[in-house]
Amino acid sequence: MAKYNAMTQEWLDAWKEKIATSKEYREIAKNWEGSVSMIVNPDPEKGIPEPIYLFMDFWHGDVLEIALCDKAKAESAKFVMSGDYARWKQVAKKEVDSTKALMQGKLKLKGDLTYIVRNIKTVNKVIDLLCEIEAIWPDEA
Amino acid sequence: MANGYAGRFLRVDLTDGLCSPFTVEEDRLRKFIGGSSLGAKLFLDGYPLDADPLAPESPLMVMTGPMVGSGFPGTSRFAVCAKSPLTGIWGESACGGTFGPELKKAGYDGIVITGRAEKPVVLSIVEGEAKLIDASGLWGRDIYETTDLLKEADKGAKALVIGPAGENLVRFAAIGNDKGHFVGRTGLGAVMGAKRLKAISVRGEGKLAKADEARFRELHREAVQQIKDSALAGSLHAMGSDANMDIGMINGDVPVKNWSVGEDFDLSSALSGPTLSETYLTRAHACAHCPVACKRVVRVPDGPFQTEEGPGPEYETCATFGTMIMNRDLAGVIKANEICNRLGMDTISCGAAIAWAMELFEKGTLTVKETDGLDLAWGNMESVLALLPRIARREGFGDLLAQGSLAAARKIGGNAVDAVVHVKGLDLPMHDPRGFHGMGLAYMMSNRGACHLQHAVLATEQGMASWPQLFPMKDDYKGTTSEGKAELVFHSENYGILGNSLSICHYLTDCLKPETIRDAFNAITGFGLDFDGLMACGARDWTLKRGINNLLGVTEKDDVLPKRIMTPLAEGAGAGSVPDVEKLKREYYALRGLDERGFPREEKLRELGLDDLRERLY
Ligand code: SF4
Repeated sequence: MAKYNAMTQEWLDAWKEKIATSKEYREIAKNWEGSVSMIVNPDPEKGIPEPIYLFMDFWHGDVLEIALCDKAKAESAKFVMSGDYARWKQVAKKEVDSTKALMQGKLKLKGDLTYIVRNIKTVNKVIDLLCEIEAIWPDEA
Repeated sequence: MANGYAGRFLRVDLTDGLCSPFTVEEDRLRKFIGGSSLGAKLFLDGYPLDADPLAPESPLMVMTGPMVGSGFPGTSRFAVCAKSPLTGIWGESACGGTFGPELKKAGYDGIVITGRAEKPVVLSIVEGEAKLIDASGLWGRDIYETTDLLKEADKGAKALVIGPAGENLVRFAAIGNDKGHFVGRTGLGAVMGAKRLKAISVRGEGKLAKADEARFRELHREAVQQIKDSALAGSLHAMGSDANMDIGMINGDVPVKNWSVGEDFDLSSALSGPTLSETYLTRAHACAHCPVACKRVVRVPDGPFQTEEGPGPEYETCATFGTMIMNRDLAGVIKANEICNRLGMDTISCGAAIAWAMELFEKGTLTVKETDGLDLAWGNMESVLALLPRIARREGFGDLLAQGSLAAARKIGGNAVDAVVHVKGLDLPMHDPRGFHGMGLAYMMSNRGACHLQHAVLATEQGMASWPQLFPMKDDYKGTTSEGKAELVFHSENYGILGNSLSICHYLTDCLKPETIRDAFNAITGFGLDFDGLMACGARDWTLKRGINNLLGVTEKDDVLPKRIMTPLAEGAGAGSVPDVEKLKREYYALRGLDERGFPREEKLRELGLDDLRERLY
């Protein structure tokens, strides 16, 4: 399986492809409406000198966009999740469950938590698909 | 008088009608702090352990802790303790609401009640003055009515009240405060009923002395900020404890059909916190001094389960009267919750008994002949609602269930007992050990029987909280493994128990940094305890109550999980998995210093400063 450099557009494209071709995702996410952004806090020692902003847009089982973006676009998303690089890496490697990280304050969420809980299967599926992508991480490169 | 304490307790003998204050020395307060820890110590030292729980000489204790009345978030709690009429061992149940802080303001840290009144009475405490008032006119009334009448009589008073279930000695009778807060578990409402004590009403204006007021205020501000920043607190505010329903069903936490089915997402979706918020929620509500406001206020405007605006169900009730009995109608859960609240019954044990009866009905062990004509098919809420008052009034089939599911099953005999899901006679709360093995160990070892609140295992094992500053913790625990769980349970118990003796709500111990709680406790009391000292108080509490239970006959043989839980599920996140009971027990016994009989070893009792208990056990 190809390996992608994490936090790059090629990594995000691979993720988008995974989501777009997952029948299971399409079924689970048929009620999901709206965009989600991920903000990765800078950590120069781990090869993240500046914050990284990712924007994702989903609609009724379709994935419309997953792309690197600027701060303004990230902050315009319906749900904004932010956290340290190390935490995001743990989530993407399935070492830490994203909901647990959220509850423990290791990741922060701006947006309607009730909607997230209602659609927690969709959230879990998107993360599971990310975890399937083999990645080389900036601090491992 | 130690800071943080009102400085005196009240002893009430209902037989003689005497009320007299007493004090507890400061070194005992430092060791046992308050809440049920101090209650257990008073019980061991002063009362006959072998008395029947409903006998006049068995004490009922209402205990607060030093943080209660301080205004620190989540410190409205108090504990009621007694020998349990449901289990026959140590019984306790903690509650929020408004009663705890008001009792402190009225001048007492706790009340110890013995005896039996000739006629029903209300214990009234106003500004330190205690008296017994005739309550014949209140006897037979439900908790909501009684609460309203007591408020009419004394507007500012806060009351603890029993309903018909407590009066009729239903073995899982509850005690209510302000209609929406309940001393639910272990049947303590029946102890109150046996004493013919209908209510305790308190009012006062006293102020709590703190060791360092300025530092306390600073910590209070910090705590409020931490709550604002906490996703868990946000989730509790938005969805109540029932936020667990959706996530729990995915993770294998939620029991379905009397613990026999592994998952049912249609059920969880119909009964979840978000659904409640979108349908029947009218507003959130809080215990005294709590910015989280996890409590639900609901109204069902019309239909067969029409309900006036009032306290709504928590997660546990949505499971017992929902997933456990295959009821998909949230309005039905709300109605059952309201009826249980009014009658004064623990929704966990009551719902569990009904789920058990439904299983037997499906198998043909019970028929309409035994159920007095009620069709107990899964999900039949009409029958459930008809059955609840019969349980509270102990009529016909209701009388069988009123004895608790285990006693009822023993009466029926055969394999009826296999369908009872309990530890030491207490029905399991709604968290499945097959999805979370640590919870299984916690159920086995909790001192009041299967319990999700005498520890913080729910929070740590399921990842809602992480406290590496208190004990070694992994970033994430897999639910379906027993590896590393004994240590997690041991530490999570010591910290969770501590919350009970400080009398701070578990949700707040989950949301707040342990440092903030420790420092606030010290700013109030001036005790200057560090984490080690505080965790030792938790360990002392556990061992003290274990020793009491040993004296009441509990041994290693009682530390087991029920057959149903040791039967793997076919589906869901916990499919195919059961806790490794032997491993968990072996490792846990070593950590707790228990011998092969399940008794605390002498050296452990010495280490924890429990010499009185050692002398009773050895
Ligand atoms: S979190 Fe909920 S139960 Fe706990 S004190 Fe606050 S309102 Fe009461």
